[in-house]
Amino acid sequence: MIESISNLWSIPLLVIIPMLTAIIVNFLYDKAIKPIAISSAIIILIISIISPYGYHWFCGHPALNPETLTFTFNPNIFGYKLSLEFIFGPLQHIMIFISSLILLFCVILSTIGLTKHQGPYIALLFLLFMSSAIVIMVNDLYHLWIAVEIGSLIVVGIAAASGTSISHKAALKYGLFSAISGAGLAVSLALVLGLTGFSNISDAIMYLKQFGIGEMSTVLYIAFGFFVLSWMYAGGLAPIHPLKSEVYGASYPHGTALLQAQSKLMLVAIGIIMLRLFGMLPFVKEVMIFLSVITMMIGVIMALIQIDFRWIIAYLIISHSGFVTLGIGLGTQEGLIGGIFQAVNDIIYMTILLLCCEALFYFGGKTSTKEAYDIAKKSPFIATATILGAIAASGIPPFNGFQSEIILIQACLKEGLPEIAVLILMVSVTTFIALLRGIYRIFLKPPELQDQDNSNVDLPKVLIIGIIIFIILSIIIGIYPDIVLRFIIPVVKEVLSI
Amino acid sequence: MTSTETFYEKLKKWLDNFITGSGYTNITTGYITGELQFLVFIIILSVFFRLFSVPLAIILLIFITAFALYFAPVIKDVEKENMNDLNRVLYWMVIYFAIIIAITLWGG
Repeated sequence: MIESISNLWSIPLLVIIPMLTAIIVNFLYDKAIKPIAISSAIIILIISIISPYGYHWFCGHPALNPETLTFTFNPNIFGYKLSLEFIFGPLQHIMIFISSLILLFCVILSTIGLTKHQGPYIALLFLLFMSSAIVIMVNDLYHLWIAVEIGSLIVVGIAAASGTSISHKAALKYGLFSAISGAGLAVSLALVLGLTGFSNISDAIMYLKQFGIGEMSTVLYIAFGFFVLSWMYAGGLAPIHPLKSEVYGASYPHGTALLQAQSKLMLVAIGIIMLRLFGMLPFVKEVMIFLSVITMMIGVIMALIQIDFRWIIAYLIISHSGFVTLGIGLGTQEGLIGGIFQAVNDIIYMTILLLCCEALFYFGGKTSTKEAYDIAKKSPFIATATILGAIAASGIPPFNGFQSEIILIQACLKEGLPEIAVLILMVSVTTFIALLRGIYRIFLKPPELQDQDNSNVDLPKVLIIGIIIFIILSIIIGIYPDIVLRFIIPVVKEVLSI
Repeated sequence: MTSTETFYEKLKKWLDNFITGSGYTNITTGYITGELQFLVFIIILSVFFRLFSVPLAIILLIFITAFALYFAPVIKDVEKENMNDLNRVLYWMVIYFAIIIAITLWGG
């Protein structure tokens, strides 16, 4: 990582540009929204690609190297930074790049597909991206809480924006729970702050490891419990999964693509913080693994019994979140690499499936397996893309899902947990079954009535381009996983070395 | 114990109560696959308890398998407990939170 004690220019831009764009498009009408929103999304994407690595501090100072008497960011050199800080490193680079790519397609699709309330909806998309970017970059307790709170509220807004009664109910329920989990996270952070005296997460971890907390460990356990609560809520882990899947199923599919990306980012960011803060306590990893396994299992079983393609995908997103948290919960190098890699892959292949689901809206808006028929005849491209997305999601080579799942399975076997390795395999197979049930009914099954409309529909070019880009990304990462792993491995080593 | 045939009949009867029309076969397939997957999942999870004690894992394996088969189809109860009712989610969240706090404090 390049060491620089000056604040990095790109970090505030990644936060302020989406915020300013949200404010501006919220007040604009019709034709003015599209160019501003799309150009802002492109700028964000470019920044996420070209940005160097570094920090942005609101106060504090780097650690002092006792040998050279110079400031350093080397995590192995002890020193309290006392800062509220944002970090842009390799992990943030890959995660924010993928999210900003999805943001770009979401914004373009919403300018094409939405006729009413376009401005406020696009504003919410930008704010959702902003909360994701903050949560993955943040390294202090105050900003973490703010990012989770803002993210939760924006999820409510995006769910409600699709305008159906189901989406309004989903938004209301999710909003009510945000009060509980947000307060829980605040309590947890307050306890950690009270125990250590540091708001900077790295400082707090260093303090805990250096001095310990002795009899105050009970307080740290309580903080862990509340932290888990917000982790479950932000990522939609069991038992919050019915509410989160309802949000996924009720939102527009392109909105869900961004929502699930934000959810994965939160799972990774909060999960790593939990592992660093509480990893030394007994039973912490076991609790994280238990939550992950239950989520994997319940999510995929619920996906099997759904009759709507959107809901099948919604529950599969939940189930595959369990893969991410399982890897982090294992706490080993392979586990962490597998978990974070799975998050990146999951975002990509679920986006393929969700964009295909968005395409179904152009064929009459029916996504239920009881109502939609024979779409493959009308659009062979969408049918093929959906099948490829399903193959990627099921962890079949040469797609990206295979690479991360094999790392996770190896990590479980190395830890002496063959049962969990078997469960991962079972979830992959069941994912394939659940998706193929929907794909057969919607894309391949001939219509039961002869008077079905067989007219061709022109899909937006950007939708087709988006699907192709994400399929290519999936295959490239599947064949050359090092493209992503070279961002993840140094971060994991750094996390485990502290 | 419930044989596979009886289990299928029970599931079909239960589904008949609220599902009619063309989606029937498709839904039945999903429910039966879900039921079997759930059974295998909990069997594997019970084996997982070997980490704490091997006899405990054996006892759990036998009891969980017997209970799951006796009360089959359990998928309907799984579905009921996974409904998005606010009170049900809140109930499970409190139970989870209590378990997490209890286990971690006990572990400490």
